[in-house]
Amino acid sequence: MRTDGATAEPTGRGDVLVVDHLVRRFGDLTAVDGVSFRIAAGETYGLLGPNGAGKTTIISMVAGLIAPDEGTVTVAGEQMGRTAVAPKRHIGLVPQDLAVYPELTARENLVLFGRLQGMTGPQLTARVAEVTELIGLTGRAKDPTKEYSGGMKRRLNIGIGLLHRPTLLILDEPTVGVDPQSRNQILESVERLSVEGMAVLYTTHYMEEAERLCDRIGIIDSGVLQAEGTRDELVRLTGAVDHIRLSGTGDTHAAAEALRALPSVSQVDVDRRELRLTVGDAPSAVAQVVTRATDAGMSLADVEITRPDLESVFLHLTGKALRD
Amino acid sequence: MRPVLAIVTAELRRFLRDRSNLFFVFIFPLVLVLVIGAQFGSGATAGKVAVAGESGAMVAALTTQLESDGLVVTSGSREDVLEQVSRGRAAVAVLVPDGAGAAFAAGRPVTLEVVPGSASNALAVQQRVRGAVDVLQLDQAQLAALTGRGVAAPAARAAVDAARDQVTGPATRVENVDALAREFQGVGQFDVGAASQLLLFTFLTSLAGSATLIQARRHGVIARTMAAPVSSAQVLLGQAGGRLVIALAQGIYIVVATSVLFGVDWGNLWLTGLVLLVFGAVSAGLAMVLGSLVDNEGAAGGLGVGLGLVLAGLGGGMVPLEVFSDTLRGVAHVTPHAWAYEAFAEIQRRDGTLVDVLPQLGVLTAMAVAALAVGAWALRRSLARAM
Ligand SMILES: Nc1ncnc2c1ncn2[C@@H]1O[C@H](COP(=O)(O)OP(=O)(O)O)[C@@H](O)[C@H]1O
Ligand SMILES: [Mg+2]
Repeated sequence: MRTDGATAEPTGRGDVLVVDHLVRRFGDLTAVDGVSFRIAAGETYGLLGPNGAGKTTIISMVAGLIAPDEGTVTVAGEQMGRTAVAPKRHIGLVPQDLAVYPELTARENLVLFGRLQGMTGPQLTARVAEVTELIGLTGRAKDPTKEYSGGMKRRLNIGIGLLHRPTLLILDEPTVGVDPQSRNQILESVERLSVEGMAVLYTTHYMEEAERLCDRIGIIDSGVLQAEGTRDELVRLTGAVDHIRLSGTGDTHAAAEALRALPSVSQVDVDRRELRLTVGDAPSAVAQVVTRATDAGMSLADVEITRPDLESVFLHLTGKALRD
Repeated sequence: MRPVLAIVTAELRRFLRDRSNLFFVFIFPLVLVLVIGAQFGSGATAGKVAVAGESGAMVAALTTQLESDGLVVTSGSREDVLEQVSRGRAAVAVLVPDGAGAAFAAGRPVTLEVVPGSASNALAVQQRVRGAVDVLQLDQAQLAALTGRGVAAPAARAAVDAARDQVTGPATRVENVDALAREFQGVGQFDVGAASQLLLFTFLTSLAGSATLIQARRHGVIARTMAAPVSSAQVLLGQAGGRLVIALAQGIYIVVATSVLFGVDWGNLWLTGLVLLVFGAVSAGLAMVLGSLVDNEGAAGGLGVGLGLVLAGLGGGMVPLEVFSDTLRGVAHVTPHAWAYEAFAEIQRRDGTLVDVLPQLGVLTAMAVAALAVGAWALRRSLARAM
């Protein structure tokens, strides 16, 4: 895993976003404290951290809405600033708030932001229709958005960000306050985008979303980027390992002996009817473990895999739970 | 320019979606013009005077003098005329005491009692009555002077009349008549009310628009707009432009509707439009300031209406500026209303040309530029602030 922004690009395709040592203070509070990271083309990068960690502040600086006190943001090779126009063309921002006009229809909202991105004429009309279809609002495109459900508004919010086919799409907690079904739709569409080659910066305080969507994850707390890397890289940081728990009847001691002989198993603890195994990679070891235990005369009632997740990574790094 | 137009279009759409806007912008002002016009007096006259007291040469002369000044004169008993005034049917009552006619004929000073009503034009009418009495007394003093030197009464009368005609009548008379009376001479019943309601309402509509900017900020739409490749100046011009177009539409509508429905004479329409444009720009700019500095729509709405009414009251939007004392009139000129009011007065009443209203246009333009500059600063600042 990388810990400083100066190393080579991970994919070799060129970085769409380079964030270099950003600092932003609000009075005495340092909301963002020396944050650096890069996102390559086609990569989905997650900023995972609890409320108040500084995610939105980072995004506001990346999108050129507020000025950093220190550090720089470079988008597609161009330096971002509050008055910079060129780098803003590359960015599609999906803010945490539902940033749409409630009195206007989905179409009118899309057309407005399309025009602000410099789109016009038939190209704009065609793209608005395409995006409306994509976000599943074609049937309701002519209704004022204030009549929409929360999920529909969220989808429109994302549609506006996608409209001008940005190089970098920024989504700030897009699933907050959304029902499970809409949430799944949103996650699926983000997955599709990264397949299409769009770079995505995704912030969330839900570790499952970060695990599911992101190629790499930056863990942020109190304005500081605590660590970053792939999910597995981060998990390895904690030194935590996978466990398989077997319970059942029969000769547990014979089974324990047999399992100790397996190279993938590093430790076996016996507790009456239950075996607790420490393994390198539980999903790949589990089949062999079950066969060997059964062969040794144990009849299994239950098999459980426990793996360390980003939650435990967060706990390890900050001493706090991700969810408060 | 394109982003500005896109924002203006969106703002107009938002405005039109809210039906209650249509009532306040298009119906309500006309109702008020009607109400104020009705107060100002009926017919094409600028006021009614009710006279009570012994009839005679003096009352006849006073009546002639008042009527020649465009006032409608009725007479009746003391109780009658006081009742007329209290009911608002006459602007002013003039009570002629017993023996006044004889004193007047003898060239002695006469004291008339003038009772003003509560109508908005009562003060103006009162001034004109005073002016008419001045003229009569001057005539009478001259007559007395002539007869005192042995000139026969009819000859003296002829000499005074001749003298008055000689000295290009109106000019001498104007010297004697109060400026206020002169100002409203020949002004239609609805003219003053229409101009002041135009200012009051376009300003109020613009300031009420500050709430839509606050909504847009709170919904995060402004932030999202600024994340697009547009400058804050473009965002501000788009937002202010929306307010300006609405104010212009309302203004043009009031001008057309009042001239068709109430026969209001607006004078040169191009100049009227120009004054409306710069005045609208000032109010749009102030709406941007208010909408950027205040975070709460309710507070901004209240402040907007309060400010709109106070500035309008201070600036001649409710009571004609001419009625103000000199000091108050000086203070009034901190408001854009006073400058626009003056420009309209120039155009409506004195056939003013572009050159005549250039000072007012200049001041209003400077106010608009200042308001927009402060608005741009406040809007940018608001983005860095949590709402
Ligand atoms: N405009 C602001 N003024 C003052 N403090 C702010 C402002 N914006 C954010 N903060 C503070 O900065 C910290 C980070 O906030 P934010 O970036 O919104 O966190 P997140 O998006 O991760 O929840 C919080 O403590 C928040 O209260
Ligand atoms: Mg946030």
